[in-house]
Amino acid sequence: MKMGNKFAVLLAALGVVAINAASVHAEEIIKLGLSVPLSGAGANWGKGSELLCHEAAKEVKAGGGVKVGGKIYNFECIAYDNKYTAAEGTKVAQTLLKRDNVKFIGGSLGTAPVRALQSLTEREGVLMFTTAWGPSIKGPKFPLTFTQMNTPSEVLFPLIKFAKEANPSIKTVAFLNPNDATGQEVEVVARKAWEAVGVNVVSSDWYERGTTEFQPIAVKLARLKADAVDLGAAPPAEAGRVLKELKALGWKGVQVVPVATGAEGLVATGGDAVDKTYTGAAVTFDGPTATARQRQLNEVMIKATGESMNTIQIGFYDAVIALKTAMEKAQSVQPEAVAKVLPEITFDSLYGSKAAFGGKQTYGSPQQILIPVIITQMKGLKLVELQRIESGELKQRIAR
Amino acid sequence: MQTALQLVMTGLQIGSVYMLFSLGLTLIFGVMKIVNFAHGQFFTLSAMLVAVLVPWLTTRGVSLPVAFGLGALAGIAVSIVVGLLLYQFGFRYFQRDLVGSFILSIGFALLFEGVFLHYFGGAVRAVPPIIDGDVSFFGVNLTAQRLALGLVALAFTLALYWVLSATRLGKAMRAVSIDHEAAMLQGIPYKKIVFNSFAIATFLGAVAGAIMAPISVITPTVGADYLVKGFIAVVIGGLGSVPGAIVGSLFIGFLESVGGYFFDPSSANMAIFVLAMLILLLRPKGVMGNG
Repeated sequence: MKMGNKFAVLLAALGVVAINAASVHAEEIIKLGLSVPLSGAGANWGKGSELLCHEAAKEVKAGGGVKVGGKIYNFECIAYDNKYTAAEGTKVAQTLLKRDNVKFIGGSLGTAPVRALQSLTEREGVLMFTTAWGPSIKGPKFPLTFTQMNTPSEVLFPLIKFAKEANPSIKTVAFLNPNDATGQEVEVVARKAWEAVGVNVVSSDWYERGTTEFQPIAVKLARLKADAVDLGAAPPAEAGRVLKELKALGWKGVQVVPVATGAEGLVATGGDAVDKTYTGAAVTFDGPTATARQRQLNEVMIKATGESMNTIQIGFYDAVIALKTAMEKAQSVQPEAVAKVLPEITFDSLYGSKAAFGGKQTYGSPQQILIPVIITQMKGLKLVELQRIESGELKQRIAR
Repeated sequence: MQTALQLVMTGLQIGSVYMLFSLGLTLIFGVMKIVNFAHGQFFTLSAMLVAVLVPWLTTRGVSLPVAFGLGALAGIAVSIVVGLLLYQFGFRYFQRDLVGSFILSIGFALLFEGVFLHYFGGAVRAVPPIIDGDVSFFGVNLTAQRLALGLVALAFTLALYWVLSATRLGKAMRAVSIDHEAAMLQGIPYKKIVFNSFAIATFLGAVAGAIMAPISVITPTVGADYLVKGFIAVVIGGLGSVPGAIVGSLFIGFLESVGGYFFDPSSANMAIFVLAMLILLLRPKGVMGNG
C-alpha cells in the first residue's frame, strides 16, 4: 500500500472513532445510587436489589431510554455496602453524594443507614427511594423520600389479622426484634396490630444483628408459653435459627416472620422448623399470578443469589421504572421536579399490575408505593401464597 | 428447676465454644506476649470452608457426615497453613511487642475479612445438621448436635490440658510463658516452641469454627463476634492463663444464657462488657492471672 493510501485509511479510521466517541457522549447517564447491605445476614437482599436495579436499567435502555427534552438518558446503578448500620450508612451516603455526585437514590435498605442517608439527601436536593420499614423516615418533612415497598403499616395489620383468623386460639404473643431502628419501629406497629385483634403481647425482646447464638432467647420464648411468636424485622436466616431452637425446645405455636422474604433463607438455617410460618414480604412465582417477566427475573435471581426474588428487590426494579415514567412526564431530570410528579403517575410494576405512590392519609404525604400485600405461609419447605390484597387507593387512582 | 438446668446446659454449651476459641488466644499471649486480633479469621476460614465444601460434596453423592468430616479437615488444614504463613511472615517479627503486633493483627484481620467477602460473598451460609434429633433429660431439651459439639469442645480442652501438663512440648511452652530467657538458658528451643504454640492456637480456633458451622449462621464476619467474646473471656480469666480462659469462657457462656433469659440478648451483651470493665478496674490481671 502506498503512503498516500495508508494515510487515507488512517484518516478514515480516526473519523470512525471520532464519530463513535461523539455518539457515546450523546448518551446521557443518570447515576442511581444504592445503599444496601452487601455483607451479613441482609447481604442477599442487597445483592438481589442491585441486580434488579441493573435489570430494570437494561430494560429501560432496550426500550429506547428515558426521553426528556429531546435527549436520551439511561440509568447506571452504583451500589455500596451499608452493612445495615448507621455508621456504614453515613460513609455510603457521603460517597454517593459527594464523590459520585448522584442526584437519585434508586434504593436504600435498613432504617438506620437510610436515616443517615436521608439527612443528606433531603438537604442536598437528592431524590431517594427506600425500602426501610421505619415510619420515622416518612412524612411531609421529607418531600424527596419515597418508599418502594410495603412497610409495617401496610403489611402487619392484614398479616396479623389473617394469622389470628386462621388460628383463633391465639391469645398471647411474644416479640423478638433486632435491636436497631428498623426493629424498634416495627415493634411499635406490630404491637398495635396484635392488640387490634385482641392478642396480648407477653414480652418484647431484642437481639443484635449478626448474633450467632439464639439458644438463650429461645429458652425464654419457649418458657413464656406464648401462643405465637412474632420475629418482627428479623431477616430470614436469623429467624430460621430462632425457630429451629424453639422447635428443639419443644415449643409448638404460631410463627410469624413479617419480613421473611423467601423460603430459601428461612429453610437454610431453620430446616423443617419453619413449617407453617406466616410471612409478609415474600412472593411466589409458581402460581397463576406470576408473569413471564417475573419468572425470568426470578431465575436470574436464583442463579445469582441462590434465593428467589423478593418484595425488597422488586422495589428496586419498580423504582427505576417509576423514575423513567416520572422524568418523562415532568420532562425534567431535576430531582425536585421529578418528586413533584411522582405522586401523579401510574407505572407498570414488576408485580404485573399498575402501581403508584400514595398513602397521604397514613403518612401525611403521598410517598408510599401502592402495590399488593401478599400473605404467604411455609407449607413444609415450600412457600405458598394465601392471600393477595390490592390497595384500595390504587384501585381508585386507576379508575380515575 | 427445669429452667435453671436448661440455662446451665445452654451456658455450658455456649461456653465450650468460647473455651476452644479463647484457649488459642491465651496460648499465643502466654508464649509470645502478643494479642492476636486475627485469631477470629482462622475460625471464619474454617467455618466458611465447611459451609462451602459440605453442600459441594453432598451434591456429588458424598454422605453428609463424610462431607462434614472432609470439610472440617480441609478447613482446619487450610487455616493452619494460613496461620503459619502469617506467623512466618508477620508475627515472628513482633514477638513481645504489644503495639506492633496489635497493628499487624488488626491489619491481617481487615485484610482477611475483605478477602473472604470477595471470594465467599457476603451472603449467609448454613450447614445442615450432621446429627439429627433432640436429647431430653430432667426436662432439659438439647439438640444432639449441640450436645456433640459440647463434648468435642470438652475433649479438645482436656487434650490441651494433658499436652500442657504431661508432655515435653507442654512443659516447654509453660516454661517459655513464665520466663522465655530462663527457658532458653535451660536449652529449650524457643523459636520451635513459639512456632508450635502458634500452630496449636490456630488449630484450636479452626476446630471451633468447624464444629460451630452446623449450628450457627456463617458469614465472612462471623469470627469477629467470637473474637470479642473470646477476648473478654481471656481478660476476665487473666491473659495467658489457661484455667483463666476456661473459667472466663464458661462465665461468658452463663452470662449469655442467664442474661438472655431474664433480660434479652442485647442486655446480656451489654452486661458482658460492663463486667469486663469492672474486672479490669478491680483485678487488672484477671481472676486467675498472675503475670
